[in-house]
Amino acid sequence: MTTRFLKIAWQILLLWLVFRCGAYLVGILHLALPGNVAGMLLMFALLLTGVVKPVQIEAGGGFLLKHFAFFFIPISVGLMVFGPLMRQSGLTLLAILTVSAVVGVVVTGVFVQVMHARSSR
Amino acid sequence: MSILLFAGFVVLTVAAYLVTRRIFLKYKYPILNPVFLSTLLIIAALKAGGFTFADYTPAKEAMTFLLGPATVALALPLYNNKKVLRNHALPVLAGVCAGSLATIAAALVAGRMLGLAKGLLLSLGPKSVTVPIAVEISRIAGGEPTLTAAFVVATGMIGSILGPVTLSLVKVSNPIARGLALGTVSHGQGTAVALLEGETAGAMGGVAMAIAAVFTALIAPYYLPLFLS
Repeated sequence: MTTRFLKIAWQILLLWLVFRCGAYLVGILHLALPGNVAGMLLMFALLLTGVVKPVQIEAGGGFLLKHFAFFFIPISVGLMVFGPLMRQSGLTLLAILTVSAVVGVVVTGVFVQVMHARSSR
Repeated sequence: MSILLFAGFVVLTVAAYLVTRRIFLKYKYPILNPVFLSTLLIIAALKAGGFTFADYTPAKEAMTFLLGPATVALALPLYNNKKVLRNHALPVLAGVCAGSLATIAAALVAGRMLGLAKGLLLSLGPKSVTVPIAVEISRIAGGEPTLTAAFVVATGMIGSILGPVTLSLVKVSNPIARGLALGTVSHGQGTAVALLEGETAGAMGGVAMAIAAVFTALIAPYYLPLFLS
């Protein structure tokens, strides 16, 4: 139990270090990327080159991915600040965001499924 | 007092998450999305207690501290799906770019038809990409960054609730296509839902989120003005 906890904590620390490296690289290279996405690409490169083995981050990474949705709860609570705007034009904005989301999901989903079926044949 | 309040907000958030996650995993209705339900519960609790978002902010900062490393961890399912990426690089790249162009166009065209002001339209433009980059794009384009952050979060919620149902309606069953669609439109929140559908879908959500973020940042300065003139 304790060793598993320590293993997860240690691996999360490793992931955090790669995240900081990603953020640092974005800063000095002036990339049009958020630091976390740069960190993800950096970690992907480390895995592909074999510098990091999957087993070295699987316990901590698996734990964070299992609860990935959790992190968006505190962020979403921030919507409460926009009460007045929501009362004034909330329905209009909701309609726009809904149309936009449905169009984007359908275009990407259908496009990829059709192209994927063709390239797999 | 403030330590107690901080701890109280953390306990409230974790408890709301654990309960709504259990409900979602049991019934699997998209409207029972844990982020959506927990957010409603927490906002209701804060309002009932007379608290503002500023009171909640320290707890929020602490709880989102691990979002960076969690995003880095997406490299793991990505690595496990490297074959898919190698064999289908073109559909993946083209699909995400097409979806990003379409979702931005739909938002701005609908916004114009409903008579939104220019500042509001510019703030809507980058709303499908992850918060840190959307905020930057909005600032550069002349939008209102805080408003964009709110739209990003709202889009994440709407896409993760309606996305899976919509994909099933148009008979998109391929997990690669589903994951990419959810990540393109609803960034991290879409990826979180894709991860609940399976490892491949989750990995593709992460891929889509990264491609959409870079692509949108690159095209926004030229693409957004097309809908404003």
